[in-house]
Amino acid sequence: MNPSTRQHLTYGVFGLLMGAVLSFTGFSNFGQIHNMFTLSDFRLLAGFIGSIALSMLGFFLLARGKKIPRKTLNKGTIPGSVLFGTGWALTGACPSIALVQLGGGRVVALFTLFGIYFGVWAYRRLASGGLALNTAICGEE
Amino acid sequence: MAYWSWWVTALALSGLTLGFWWALQRPLGVSGSWARVVLRSNDKILNQAEAGFRNNPQLFNDALMRATVEEFGEEAVQALLTKRAGQAGSGAVIAGSALPVRTPWTAHFTFLAMLVAGGAIAAADSGRLGLHFSMGEVYRQLFGQGVAAWLTLFVGGVLVGFGTQMAGGCTSGHALSGAPRLVPASLLATAVFFTTAVVVSIVISFAATVGGVS
Repeated sequence: MNPSTRQHLTYGVFGLLMGAVLSFTGFSNFGQIHNMFTLSDFRLLAGFIGSIALSMLGFFLLARGKKIPRKTLNKGTIPGSVLFGTGWALTGACPSIALVQLGGGRVVALFTLFGIYFGVWAYRRLASGGLALNTAICGEE
Repeated sequence: MAYWSWWVTALALSGLTLGFWWALQRPLGVSGSWARVVLRSNDKILNQAEAGFRNNPQLFNDALMRATVEEFGEEAVQALLTKRAGQAGSGAVIAGSALPVRTPWTAHFTFLAMLVAGGAIAAADSGRLGLHFSMGEVYRQLFGQGVAAWLTLFVGGVLVGFGTQMAGGCTSGHALSGAPRLVPASLLATAVFFTTAVVVSIVISFAATVGGVS
């Protein structure tokens, strides 16, 4: 199999798995997310923290001595995270959840998706226009 | 059907994070895929430039040397070369042949499209699939419905898109894959976006309650 086909297949399989997991766990349900953020239900929060703890162990065992790209701290880290946190509270969606919501039939998630698309485009436009806050992005350092 | 318990959730999210890294040798990161899809027109330009270098490694070396000389000055480079010439086994390094292969943007698009498909399959399996023209009852109580709700979703979406690019990552890249490796930027980003979401959610919830009473 040529590398391009393999990449498409692998990305596709992980997209499918991740979409299903986010739906089965309730991350794509606004009510569940809102209850997590208002600290009135700790199921998702515990799952989230539990995942970080398990991955810590996993990376320690599997990735010792291997070089994994590390995100760098920069001027955009804090203000960007504040904007993202606000957006997540308003929509119940992070960049993957909005897609999973749409998959579940929440047609209104299209508004969120248009917003995300525009937001990504606008930031990249500004960043390349001399604002130069950060160019390293998720998974593509 | 009830949602998965906290520990099944933890196992599944961690399995995805580790599995993705294991299979693709790069950390999971959805906002990165968004950027590649939105900026897909850049791929063509970059591929063209890289193809030139790949077919002619010497050209790449020359370009690299020129940039190095511009950055550090001719004297420093000359001194380094003289020093290295005296060392055993130092030949010309052809860097052009070691260029990494770029994942095509269509693979990232496949990833995003399959998130929709995965969500649809899981929703169908748990009996939740159906056409919904609202985000649900909780959303209606907090933000109303119709245009008000749609506008909130769009504005929130812009904040998510802009914010994740500015912060260099999102839930998957910073929280799920960066925090377990104790990457400082990821720990900070995770703490900030989570705390912000908690504060904003509590304020909105409070405002809706007060607004509902009066």
